[in-house]
Amino acid sequence: MVLTMYLSRLVLPLKWTRAISTSVVNNGKRNFRKFLLHNKRGSRSFKEERKKLKGNEPTDVPVYHYGVRPTGYHDAKGNFIAVPEMIPELMVPDLTDFKLKPYVSYRVPDVVQSEFTAQDLFDAVYSRKIVEDFKNNKLDSNGNPTEPSEEEALTPEEAKERARRTGSDIFEKYSEDLEETN
Amino acid sequence: MRLTLLLFENVGELTKKYANLPERYIKRSMEQVYWKTPNAIQYLPRTVQRKKFRFTTNRPWTYQFLQQNERGTHRKKVFVEPILEWSIFRGDRVQVLVGRDKGKQGIVSRVIQERNWVLVQGLNCHMRFTGKDKDFPGVAVLSEAPLLVTNQVSLVDPSDLLPTKIEWRFTEEGERVRVSERTGRIIPMPLMADETHDYKSKSAYKESPKDTVESELTKITFSPTLRTFEMDVMNEMEKKEENVTNVADVPS
Repeated sequence: MVLTMYLSRLVLPLKWTRAISTSVVNNGKRNFRKFLLHNKRGSRSFKEERKKLKGNEPTDVPVYHYGVRPTGYHDAKGNFIAVPEMIPELMVPDLTDFKLKPYVSYRVPDVVQSEFTAQDLFDAVYSRKIVEDFKNNKLDSNGNPTEPSEEEALTPEEAKERARRTGSDIFEKYSEDLEETN
Repeated sequence: MRLTLLLFENVGELTKKYANLPERYIKRSMEQVYWKTPNAIQYLPRTVQRKKFRFTTNRPWTYQFLQQNERGTHRKKVFVEPILEWSIFRGDRVQVLVGRDKGKQGIVSRVIQERNWVLVQGLNCHMRFTGKDKDFPGVAVLSEAPLLVTNQVSLVDPSDLLPTKIEWRFTEEGERVRVSERTGRIIPMPLMADETHDYKSKSAYKESPKDTVESELTKITFSPTLRTFEMDVMNEMEKKEENVTNVADVPS
């Protein structure tokens, strides 16, 4: 009689049983509302205090700068050091006697221009002199000019160095650069 | 994103052309977003917004359109026949085929492509009273009712001033024109078709001080030099390089 009592207790309702899920984890609910740390969670002073308490390490509630880039850096102690060179300087050209205006008149017909390629740049810079040298027989046996212009007189190394100075837009992979300098 | 494209596709090409407004503005003013998923990594970008609009004689970016398509208002669907080649434009001479003014000819004053509608000046009108008050009966206004382009209105052949069916054909020069099927006469595009809110025609546009003139626009001032954009700028600003920094030395 005692046994049957125990047996009856063993019959559990279905919802209390454990089951194995065979579906992929991604099939589960993904749009959970937790961990949505909005910027308005805590005032700025609160966030800064919290940061100090944690020893100036990044916290779970960081100060949000809204995409503004800093004009300095933080030293080891956490003090902010302003760097005046980091403040952006807007280079605005002088617009006196500048005829182009912000809008275009409707009376203007469509301007169609072909693409200005590297070939076109080469033709503009070098081709004329090459043709003149050829006509005046100023090319030696190899085809190099006997009276080279400034651009023609550049050696490959010089040209490369010139091209990689500040203001160039030729960017190579960092690892490749290291190999070449070493 | 696909949803907004569908909504915006309903706005007719002629409507956008006449408005001369940026397409982004029309889309933005039309859409009614009720809820958006938060901007967080765990959410997919989804919106709950109005999908079905009722197009009327009020333009989609107006307040009256918004009132007619207020949140919660559900109108029965209007079935609009899709027309591949739109043939009737603003300023066309057209004959009315139905209604009280059947047989009369008039000039198209407005085209509402979303409903295949055309409003003819002074024809197919009715009286309505605006500004009604308790004491005041209201001002009588004659307003045109829209006519369907497909079967209620017909283009008129300029040679005999009778209604015809038209076909789009190409001239010897390669220009696409409307040709009357009965007589073969070309029906030229009306001048009013070029009209927008900003100008009657492009050549009649009055240039304002902020407009760039054609003579300045077509001037070629570019001289190709072996310099990058930054080098050019530096040259112009007359800043000489003090330190030549090698790209490889700058730590990334």
